[in-house]
Amino acid sequence: MEIAYYPGCSLQQSSALYDLQSRRIFEELGVRLMEIEDWSCCGATSAGKVDDFLAVALPARNIGIAEDAGFTEMVIPCSACYSRTLVAQQRMADDTRLKEDINEEIGKKVRGDLKVSSILESLLPIVTAKDFKPKVIRKFRELKPVCYYGCMLTRFPYTVPVPDRVENPRGMEQVLDALGIKALDWNYKTYCCGASAAVNDNQTSLSLMSRIMKDAVARGANCFVVTCPMCQMNMDAHQNAFCEKNDIEARLPVYFITELLGAAMGIAPEELQLDRHFIDGAQLLKESEKDERKEK
Amino acid sequence: MTAPVHEYIPDSTKPFLQEVMERSGQMLTACYQCRRCAAGCTVGDETGCFTPNLLIRTVVLGDRDTALNNELVWKCVSCYTCGVRCPNDIQTARITETLKKMAKERHVEPLQPKVAHFHDAFVESSIRWGRVNEMEFMGFYELKNALKEAKVKNYEAIIDELKEQAKLGLTMFKLGRMHFGFQMAKGRKEVKALYKKAKRKRAASPDANA
Repeated sequence: MEIAYYPGCSLQQSSALYDLQSRRIFEELGVRLMEIEDWSCCGATSAGKVDDFLAVALPARNIGIAEDAGFTEMVIPCSACYSRTLVAQQRMADDTRLKEDINEEIGKKVRGDLKVSSILESLLPIVTAKDFKPKVIRKFRELKPVCYYGCMLTRFPYTVPVPDRVENPRGMEQVLDALGIKALDWNYKTYCCGASAAVNDNQTSLSLMSRIMKDAVARGANCFVVTCPMCQMNMDAHQNAFCEKNDIEARLPVYFITELLGAAMGIAPEELQLDRHFIDGAQLLKESEKDERKEK
Repeated sequence: MTAPVHEYIPDSTKPFLQEVMERSGQMLTACYQCRRCAAGCTVGDETGCFTPNLLIRTVVLGDRDTALNNELVWKCVSCYTCGVRCPNDIQTARITETLKKMAKERHVEPLQPKVAHFHDAFVESSIRWGRVNEMEFMGFYELKNALKEAKVKNYEAIIDELKEQAKLGLTMFKLGRMHFGFQMAKGRKEVKALYKKAKRKRAASPDANA
């Protein structure tokens, strides 16, 4: 099976590991991710704050490229890119004049029949199918993750069909279930980390992140699992800063869902580039594995 | 609360309220101040209690100065929690995004200039190359900040900011999370055409010149 794939700018740069992992995991699951040709930036959360037309027009160009190549589904692992593209598709469906306006300027016109999927939407049917079970060769039973969804997987600036529960999404927990990992319940799964505020309003962002961390620690979690590269970068890169500021001793690795999936399917941590985390994640995985061997 | 005592003049209030409603696509007049938005606001603690319901009231009452420049407009992280919980489907984050744009058009000095610099630098970079180059965009962002601080001779702030960024940059470099290759899309001409169209639309809109 082949589906269209939009990596987006951050997966080509600071979160290049997420791009590599996504391709590798889907390949292992029998799906080929076909990167769409000559894609451009979706405008992320900034475009909506600078110009409303651009906020739709920038992701629209990528939708046009994918539809022109004959794809019916496009998976977007980055939450910001996913949110912007999904909203653009819906806004053009609701406003044909806007769609025509945009189509006048781009070579590959938008028709509007491409399904825009988050990484969880694309993963779920595969990992919950019967034939997935034999692929899980390592079980990390000692892992006590909290699933951190952030904002952009369930809350949108415009009414769109949301694929999960808005206040209490379960998609990540379901994926982990399929890996034999039990995620903990907690209160901050859809709380905001501040996103770009980590750069332009640091104090606000650190205060938000410390609340997320405090709840995770209070619940007895030993790691976070995320799908959003912005959440991952923020919670990982600034963890020392917000923990020191708030007297939190614990440090929790922030895993991409693809890292746990990959590790469970037996892909080596080096191949997944697990060493590129600010807070080390390789050690915890190894420890969970050690316990596993003792059991046997 | 930061809102000063305000004299309500219905005739001068209407055009401003109308503009915010049209551009944000939100029915502000549906708000009955139930404060569900306030209870859920992520940055409620950071905005000095200037909550989404207060912002809506400020716009409805026509207090332009406060509406265009308050903690919520510049601290809102667009998490969209308020809108998801609003019983009347008012997405206040769309209102803060609209007010940011209106503040810029009216040359109002932003309360958090770095926020405005960030989004401007990001969009400029994405239009310039078709894709955002993190290092280039961060460079332009810091340049905008530095120029602003240099104007008021606040050199210490520039040095502090650069030190902080350098520290993070160095760690990112060590972890292989810094990317030195340059990214661009061949189709950036199309992206530029979209940008020009956006500009033409802004100029043609009667609200923008109000």
